[in-house]
Amino acid sequence: MSDARYHILHETHYVYESRVAVAQQVLHLTPRDLAYQKRIAHSIGIDPQPSETTERQDYFGNSVRYAVLDSPHETLTVRAESEVSVASRTGGRVPPASPPWESVRDQLRAATQAAELEAAEFRFESPHIEFSPDLMRYVSDCFSARRPFLEAVHGLNHRIFEDFAFDDSATSVSTPLSEVLERRRGVCQDFAHLMTGCLRVLGLPARYVSGYILTTPPPGHVRMVGADASHAWVSVYCPVAGWVDFDPTNDLVVDDEHITLAWGRDFSDVAPMRGVILGGGDQELKVHVTVTQTEAPGVREQFAGLVAP
Amino acid sequence: MPRQLLSAYPPASARYDEMLDGGRMPREHWHTMFDQLASAPPGLMRERLQAVQRQVSENGITYNVYADAQGADRPWDLDVLPLILPHEEWRTIERAIIQRATLLNRILLDVYGSQYLLQQGLLPPALVHGHSGFLRPAHGVPAQGNVMLHMYAADLARSPDGRWWVVADRTQAPSGAGYALENRLIISRVFPDLFRDLKVQHLASFFAAMRDSLAHWAPHDDEAPLIVLLTPGPYNETYFEHAYLARYLGFPLVEGHDLTVRSGCVWLKTLSGLQRVHAIVRRLDDDFCDPLELTGDSTLGVAGLADAARRGNVLLANALGSNLLESGALLGFLPALSRKLLGEELEMPSVGTWWCGEPAALEQVIANLDSLVIKPTFPQLRRETVFGDDVTGAKRDQLIAQMRAKPQDFVAQELVQLSQAPVWDRQHPRRLLARAIGMRVYACATPNGYVVMPGGLTRVATGPSARVISMQRGGASKDTWVLAPGPVNTFSLLRRTTGAQDLVRSGANLTSRVVENLYWFGRYSERCDNTARLLRLALERMIDAVPSADDVGWASITALLRRAEILEDEDDLDDVALVRALRTAIVDDEHGGLAGNLRQLFRVASQLRERLSLDNWRTVNKLVQDFAERKNQTLALSDALSEIDRTVVALMTLAGFALDGMTRDQGWRFLSVGRRIERMQFQCTALERALELPHGPGTPDLDWLLALADSTITYRSRYMARPEWMPVFDLLVCDDSNPRSIAFQVKGLHDYLVRLGTALGDCGADSLSPSMALLKSLEAEDLQPGSKRLSTLIEGLLEASYTLSEQLGLRFFSHSMLRQTYAT
Repeated sequence: MSDARYHILHETHYVYESRVAVAQQVLHLTPRDLAYQKRIAHSIGIDPQPSETTERQDYFGNSVRYAVLDSPHETLTVRAESEVSVASRTGGRVPPASPPWESVRDQLRAATQAAELEAAEFRFESPHIEFSPDLMRYVSDCFSARRPFLEAVHGLNHRIFEDFAFDDSATSVSTPLSEVLERRRGVCQDFAHLMTGCLRVLGLPARYVSGYILTTPPPGHVRMVGADASHAWVSVYCPVAGWVDFDPTNDLVVDDEHITLAWGRDFSDVAPMRGVILGGGDQELKVHVTVTQTEAPGVREQFAGLVAP
Repeated sequence: MPRQLLSAYPPASARYDEMLDGGRMPREHWHTMFDQLASAPPGLMRERLQAVQRQVSENGITYNVYADAQGADRPWDLDVLPLILPHEEWRTIERAIIQRATLLNRILLDVYGSQYLLQQGLLPPALVHGHSGFLRPAHGVPAQGNVMLHMYAADLARSPDGRWWVVADRTQAPSGAGYALENRLIISRVFPDLFRDLKVQHLASFFAAMRDSLAHWAPHDDEAPLIVLLTPGPYNETYFEHAYLARYLGFPLVEGHDLTVRSGCVWLKTLSGLQRVHAIVRRLDDDFCDPLELTGDSTLGVAGLADAARRGNVLLANALGSNLLESGALLGFLPALSRKLLGEELEMPSVGTWWCGEPAALEQVIANLDSLVIKPTFPQLRRETVFGDDVTGAKRDQLIAQMRAKPQDFVAQELVQLSQAPVWDRQHPRRLLARAIGMRVYACATPNGYVVMPGGLTRVATGPSARVISMQRGGASKDTWVLAPGPVNTFSLLRRTTGAQDLVRSGANLTSRVVENLYWFGRYSERCDNTARLLRLALERMIDAVPSADDVGWASITALLRRAEILEDEDDLDDVALVRALRTAIVDDEHGGLAGNLRQLFRVASQLRERLSLDNWRTVNKLVQDFAERKNQTLALSDALSEIDRTVVALMTLAGFALDGMTRDQGWRFLSVGRRIERMQFQCTALERALELPHGPGTPDLDWLLALADSTITYRSRYMARPEWMPVFDLLVCDDSNPRSIAFQVKGLHDYLVRLGTALGDCGADSLSPSMALLKSLEAEDLQPGSKRLSTLIEGLLEASYTLSEQLGLRFFSHSMLRQTYAT
């Protein structure tokens, strides 16, 4: 099976009410290079032209672009364009076989080996993920005693999909987990945070992944939710299978239709654009994501969405 | 004598006594002090106590306590008796603190570097990855000289067997060293002979070592490094100390918005442009340091600071992320870490501490709750410390439930039976009381390893049975005397010789914020003066006779009172209401008026703390203390009048300092511009009012106008007659030898603006030219009420003063522009 190949255009456009004197930006807009994902081409264009840009890797190994704009401006456009190929990850087995979840928990608690140590970092609370008895109650049904780890995660993935309604008016970036859990609605970020929190509260390693999904499905496939903006899902670590990604928004195990930008403990580590501006007043934001499959089943389609998250 | 001294001093049954041995005899190193206390005449001790009180109050040493009834600034509570430690004992403490600081620094370097300790299982991952103080953006940031922990403090307690134990580590931005210094200045003056004879070790060389080490490590090319002290601002509980240390060390005191990051370097916004900053001593919590990469909603930090540190362009002391080690949970792991990293046993033990994140420990802690103190694992949790035996019933169940739900958030610590030390009973002429004490000791990194401050901040419990010593809870403090074996090093930081590089630096680092505050200091001190004179005038008239409605002078005064927002427009001039309004203006700082303006003056002055001389500050402080005494009192009119007289004298003293005691630098010019603009506006307003008066036959009432301009005496000595229009206007408008005249203000203002303009580019001096020309051309016949030319002059000057103030603000003051942080 040949790898899927995608072209991604991620445009962010700000219009400020008053002039911005200085802007400093930290961008997580560069797709990761991974065993199953190759970055073929990538560029980030910023208008107006930054006075300074640097690039580095953050603590989690994500590429970060740092940009400073120090001449006054009233609009800002950031245009990230990437070409990546993604290989199939599931190999047809969904989900892979795995040990009982309790043994995964115990093994990670006493981790010493490098991959496990790395995974062990993702078992704690973080700025967007606060543990609560409600969270524990919600997850406990799926994690019955001795249930195989990935099977239980798969069950949780499905349960969140069933229990929660996609509603992009219900939440914002700062809506706490407890509120999402109570109101049973939200967007992909919320569902990813929720699932991450559910796993971590049990002492299991889960990280938050930011990325994209194909905006227009191949013929015969259903168009996925969250395709017209940047997307988010969850990656869990299983000692035998390594990292396995789940998308609770679309009730599936990630195969080759997700493009990984960056991962971290939660949104706060990998926000595609984070910035500090001086001045600006009120602002209007438009984000525009277009993902097209450039090779593979012979079609070349394009779908553009326009949302204000 | 000694018997009387000890009549209320209980034997230390279950605790160590710092002063007395088992036979109730003074320990050897206390002999001299004890004899002196026993033999000193009662009057002398009283004088000593008063000297301490007076200096604390005059120097304005404060500690801000949130939600304190005494207001934001609570006076520092300092006991007259020092804690005395013999040399050999100090050597032991010193060695242990050096070892501990070295160890903690190594742990920080590891966690923010290779993380070997995590890989080896020597540190549980929860204490790093589950700690919100572990700042991922700080990982991999280079540490100059392999030092992340530049300043370290340990809270020590002494157990009944005489051993010292570490209760807590302060690794983020240890506070209190400045207070220790201030304590020393006061107490060494109270016991000058003892201080010398006992050979008490001096503190100055410790601070010099700190300063020199920072300068050594600060990344700088050949230029002298600029080191600043970053404070969260005047609302922080130890702001006094920030200002004090900044002044003592000669570092500019800056807030986050005084700094900016460009091209990966940190710059100080000064009047003359951006100055490169090479090192930052931060008293700001590390997660608040950079809104771009750390806590996004912080308004206190500097956007891009983490990146500047990462590029090695600025030294942060302490390094970002050092808060990690303030977790009590770490204490239990230190002995093993010391063996592993240093190959040494820990010299000073930590008080028994269990981290509930370990399942076995949790059960042990719950079983022994009564004998333990329960603390939050991470400072960020902002949870109260709880004594196990204080919680009973439902509260106890609730605590245990919380501990079981999130065991990793709790540590339990053994209760330490603190040692006791004597404090002087302020209610009795000659009596010692016993109080529990703890001691905070300080270390700083130098290229030759850590050095320890020979002394420390001894903290005293509030009551005889208090178990917690916390400045936040109202404890007191003591000076700490460490005795030297031989001659004392009398090096003083205040008297060190000045090198050429210091000369170059002086005056260059005037921050935009300081300039803004100086300008407003000038304006508010003048505004207070104007308001005080106006109130005095009104009160005098009220006391003389009840003014009648057709009294033109009185009508002018009330008009000006309205303008000053002391009277409201709709106020009916019934006497009772009038008296109430005038009183309010004097005692209530919630309203416009003298009290409100004094409050603003104090607010601005507090932000200039490190730039005002001690005398200057004492005067401001006195003004505020006088105000606090009369706050919300019902003053008789005559008392109100004498209060105002005192205020006016204090304000004149301030003006005198400005004139006679400050260097004529650009900052001083801004202060002077502020004074002149304010005075000009006030005099213009009064004259404007006078010009509206009817100018019929008879003698006009112009006494009020002369009084407001403090020109009554001058007028009388010149004219020996009742005031008349022409000579009054001449004196108040045209006479440039009268420091309250319009001509004097305009001339001075123009002069300052021209001088500022020479250094900083045009400052708007020309905007005064038309008024100056008009002023010069005024003829005798213009000096009458209703004069068109005089009105034009006044209007023009008022207009020019508003424009000038606005333009100076836009150009030189720190950006009032709002900073926004976002993530999408």
